[in-house]
Amino acid sequence: MKDKMKLNPGRKRGLVGWLLNAPYLAYSLIFFLIPLIWAAWLSVMDWNLMSKDRTFVGLDNFKALFSDTRVQAAFVNSFRYLLPIVILCFLGGLVIALLVSKLPDKIKGFIAVLFFIPYLTSGVATSVVVKYFFNYNSVFNEFLREHFNLNVNWLTDEKFAFWVMVFIVVWKMSGYYALFILSGIESIDVEVNEAAALDGSCGLHKLIHVTLPMIMPTLTTVIVLATGLAFGIYTEPYLLTGGGPNLSTTSWQLEIYNASFTRFESGYGAAMAIASAIQIFITLRIINFITDRLNRKFGY
Amino acid sequence: MNKKKISVKTVIITIITLILLAISLFPFYYMIVQSLTSWDMVDKTLVPSGLTLRSYEYLLGRGGATNSMMWFKALWNSFAVSFPTAVISVVVGLAIGYSVSKMKFKGERFIMNTLLFQMFFPTVILLVPRYMITRSLTNSYAGMILPLCISIWAVFMYINYFKTIPNDVFEAAKIDGAGNLRILTSIAFPITKSVTTIVFLSIFMQRWNELMWDMLISPDINMQTLNVLISTQFKPMGAFPGPMYAASVILTLPIIILFLCFSKYFKEGISFMLK
Repeated sequence: MKDKMKLNPGRKRGLVGWLLNAPYLAYSLIFFLIPLIWAAWLSVMDWNLMSKDRTFVGLDNFKALFSDTRVQAAFVNSFRYLLPIVILCFLGGLVIALLVSKLPDKIKGFIAVLFFIPYLTSGVATSVVVKYFFNYNSVFNEFLREHFNLNVNWLTDEKFAFWVMVFIVVWKMSGYYALFILSGIESIDVEVNEAAALDGSCGLHKLIHVTLPMIMPTLTTVIVLATGLAFGIYTEPYLLTGGGPNLSTTSWQLEIYNASFTRFESGYGAAMAIASAIQIFITLRIINFITDRLNRKFGY
Repeated sequence: MNKKKISVKTVIITIITLILLAISLFPFYYMIVQSLTSWDMVDKTLVPSGLTLRSYEYLLGRGGATNSMMWFKALWNSFAVSFPTAVISVVVGLAIGYSVSKMKFKGERFIMNTLLFQMFFPTVILLVPRYMITRSLTNSYAGMILPLCISIWAVFMYINYFKTIPNDVFEAAKIDGAGNLRILTSIAFPITKSVTTIVFLSIFMQRWNELMWDMLISPDINMQTLNVLISTQFKPMGAFPGPMYAASVILTLPIIILFLCFSKYFKEGISFMLK
């Protein structure tokens, strides 16, 4: 009997394995699986976060999404954000990486890290600077008025507020993505560069026909990361524009937060969150499809 | 002649890079300068004639109009939330990474599938239910730390790292009779130094900069993190710009210094993130 209780090595390894994973599994149960099921249940309820009354409303929450102008704005804006953010982050990262890769080895690493600093900055600190910098009386706007006779309401004019948000994100992320691209560029074999030089390939020709195809997998990573980022915008519109003017800078996160915790329509907020997840999922599938195609074209 | 041509090219590239760098770091210059400018000149000049610490005194000194302890407390709260979160992420990531890639235990498949499944869902879906579950921990460190203490990204960093380490490293210790826990703490942990540094700093930074969750779960002004306190003080239009700049400097600088100190580990770490 006692012999049976003794664990054989395989059993023991299994036990230690499960033990090492126990905290994660407990976390996943409490903060992932239960909330996930709860969210699905909430989305078919009409409930205000506090009261005891909850009424089952079926798919009414989802139906209501279609006629909600805020939801429509969030849906459209996530694509409006996506396109310029992915393209500009990509270009910004690429330009920084190409420049830094040509620097003397001594300063290369240090400069790359300096470009990375905006990424470390809290959206709150950025918002403080942006809000005051674009204020009516700021030195910047005074300068524009005096020398160019321009009077721009950066954060309250629909045309500009959106681009201010995009600009903040691109500023913040370019240096971070540059590190990825730089590491891709540096992993290209010396021989490839030598062969390209022998063929007389340099400058833009080399970039398009040698460097970019060689770092395709890295570029894919950057595009996927930037996509996720574009869908997650929250802090800057929350602090700077409140999603306005005219919902032009709002995002899913902001609308879900407002529905759930400012207007206390929690069931509706949950339905909104599920809708946003579906949009993200489908968009990522499409982007994956495109990048897979491109990767295959270049032989990955 | 050829040599000279190269160096001219390098000089031009260096100058362009430095201009770009200056643009990308300009907001920091602006933030720091405005935090040190006298209050009547804040946002009115790029190069102030004199510097003053008045904005910092207003926040942290006794003569200020605000409750100065509140800013100290907020700075401490940020640390008290971010540090344990980073430690837990590292420990959990290390444990899962080692057990999944090096122990050949039966649950490996299940753990990997759970991780992948979880990675799939944007956390915004979980916001309301997580709030419901954690609501009894409102205004406590536990309420801020627990729901965000595990990072799937960190786990994958460790899994990928251990996959690049040959099994022999651990086999030798096993033959010597060391148990898995022993191997984990005395062999596996030390060799992950670069990954651990990156994971720790990144999680610390992300947690330090978190806004939405902390705002929800910790509305009490004495339990707010610095990030939340700035955003609540800043949102009403009445805030003085000078102290807001000073608070932003206090919020940003520790993270930047921390990263610059450990920047030599980055290169290695970035190449793992790509896998």
